[in-house]
Amino acid sequence: MTPIISIQNVTKRFQSADSAAVLALDNINLDIQKGEFVSLIGPSGCGKSTLLRVIADLIQPTAGTVLVNDKPAAQARKDRDYGMVFQNATLYDWRSIIKNVELPLEIMRFPKPERTRRAREMLKLVELGDFEEKYPWQLSGGMQQRVSIARALAFEPKILLMDEPFGALDEMTRERMNNELLRIWKSIDGMTVIFVTHSIPEAVYLSTRVVVLSPRPGRLSEIIDIPLPQPRSAATRDMDEFFHLSTRVRNALRFGVEN
Amino acid sequence: MAETLSDNNPSLAAVVRVDNPPPDRSTLKTVLTMLVLVILIALVWEGAKSFARAQEYKLNLFGSEIDLSIFNNTKLPHLGDIARAFGEPAQRNGPPLYQTLINYSLFTFSEALLGFGIGSILGFLLAIIFAHSSLLQRGLLPYVVASQTIPILAIAPMVVIWMRNIGQSSLAVPVIAAYLTFFPVTIYTLRGLTSVPQTSLELMHSYAATRWQILWKLRIPNALPHIFTAFKISATASVVGAVIGELPSGIQNGLGIALLNFTQFYNQSPPRLWAAIVAAALLGIIFFVSMSLLERLVVRWQVKESD
Ligand SMILES: Nc1ncnc2c1ncn2[C@@H]1O[C@H](COP(=O)(O)OP(=O)(O)OP(=O)(O)O)[C@@H](O)[C@H]1O
Ligand SMILES: [Mg+2]
Repeated sequence: MTPIISIQNVTKRFQSADSAAVLALDNINLDIQKGEFVSLIGPSGCGKSTLLRVIADLIQPTAGTVLVNDKPAAQARKDRDYGMVFQNATLYDWRSIIKNVELPLEIMRFPKPERTRRAREMLKLVELGDFEEKYPWQLSGGMQQRVSIARALAFEPKILLMDEPFGALDEMTRERMNNELLRIWKSIDGMTVIFVTHSIPEAVYLSTRVVVLSPRPGRLSEIIDIPLPQPRSAATRDMDEFFHLSTRVRNALRFGVEN
Repeated sequence: MAETLSDNNPSLAAVVRVDNPPPDRSTLKTVLTMLVLVILIALVWEGAKSFARAQEYKLNLFGSEIDLSIFNNTKLPHLGDIARAFGEPAQRNGPPLYQTLINYSLFTFSEALLGFGIGSILGFLLAIIFAHSSLLQRGLLPYVVASQTIPILAIAPMVVIWMRNIGQSSLAVPVIAAYLTFFPVTIYTLRGLTSVPQTSLELMHSYAATRWQILWKLRIPNALPHIFTAFKISATASVVGAVIGELPSGIQNGLGIALLNFTQFYNQSPPRLWAAIVAAALLGIIFFVSMSLLERLVVRWQVKESD
């Protein structure tokens, strides 16, 4: 089976005039199959956001190629194959919440009633149905991030690239959003998620595979399969296997840093 | 990826430092502050005059004598006299001065407004062109900047002659006003169009948005607070342009000519010139305030954020 995302020998070097070059990604190879839920975890500055941007064709790798759906990443971007949730919510200040969610639908020329219907539905999904007419500055950071998730889901992309989407949420909301995300992922047939997080339990709970990155230069230090039974639930967190896998990820992180 | 758009262009940032417009305070507070300020100026004005008169317009300070005659009634009339001048006719059997000044102001305002419109559209279009072509920006922006180093007094007579030649004399003054107006609009709009946060732009690219969509849905809304800063500067500049433009164009019923006439006959009645100056200042202020109000209506997100 050909992978839905294939990252081949990807290297990214940031060159700046005033300081030494940063090797953000060093020869990354990773294949992701359709329907997978892959978490990227690693210390701050190890290149997680950079890898996501390369996959999304928002920046060009210095070397190597990325194929999405067997196409170059640039073509996949043009075909709107993926939805992206940025590390900061990136809402437009001049748009109300519902208008922010409608933005991709406007760009993709959905008819007006359809835009409104979908935006409403997505806002309900992230529990912000009562905030349609508010503006971004009237929402907390965590609420803004949920709006950006609604916005990414609005056009029903088959691939979801998420950069620390729940970083700003409290533990309870975060767990609820985790379950919501899993429900969405399950409900859309063949949906693939690449999910960046700093939280080990979150990565283990959500993923089918956890990819551990090590910093300076950004390398793949380990890939850990998460064979916990689906669907995941509160009971999952109490399983011995859950603790065992969390420890493995933690060790991989520690090992990556010490090297 | 289309990346000819120069975000946070350093060469542009070097031309003019643009900060966000200051936060709007509550209207009442603003009005009160202005009132207190006017009263303060009036107190200083009249205080200085009575002090100078008490000293017989000479002040001995550490052995050297300072001339205080600039505070006498011909050089700095009493505020009461200026106020009275508004009510008295400027010519025998003519209407009271305030009526004449209102008519002149309305005429000058119509020219300034037309010039403001022409200049804003020109400035806006230039900014959009510059934002999309760094080549044109590098080639043409220096000339735009240089155009503003030529004194308006030198440009104005030429514009009058050109417009007369093409049979559009009535447009001469608006064109002169536009000459002062387009520049801030170009610079501020360009700044607004190009100072888009990187992730906001990446979001658009992730949707494979066209340049046109990025312009309408991201760059122009992002530029609006900057554009209104420019509008506020241009509003007053267009009044200045119109007043100066009237001088060489031989217009008889505008504020510029009134200022010129009252200067010629200053010795007969100093308060009249001051009255005309007050009228010109009020015109500029009213235009400026209208732009601020419009800004509050349009750029709601920025204003609310700073409240
Ligand atoms: N546009 C850029 N120009 C120069 N260097 C950059 C740029 N973007 C990222 N870097 C560098 O690349 C490295 C990886 O950055 P990246 O944002 O991918 O890290 P990250 O893993 O997402 O970190 P965090 O967990 O804190 O979000 C960092 O050292 C950063 O300084
Ligand atoms: Mg990051």
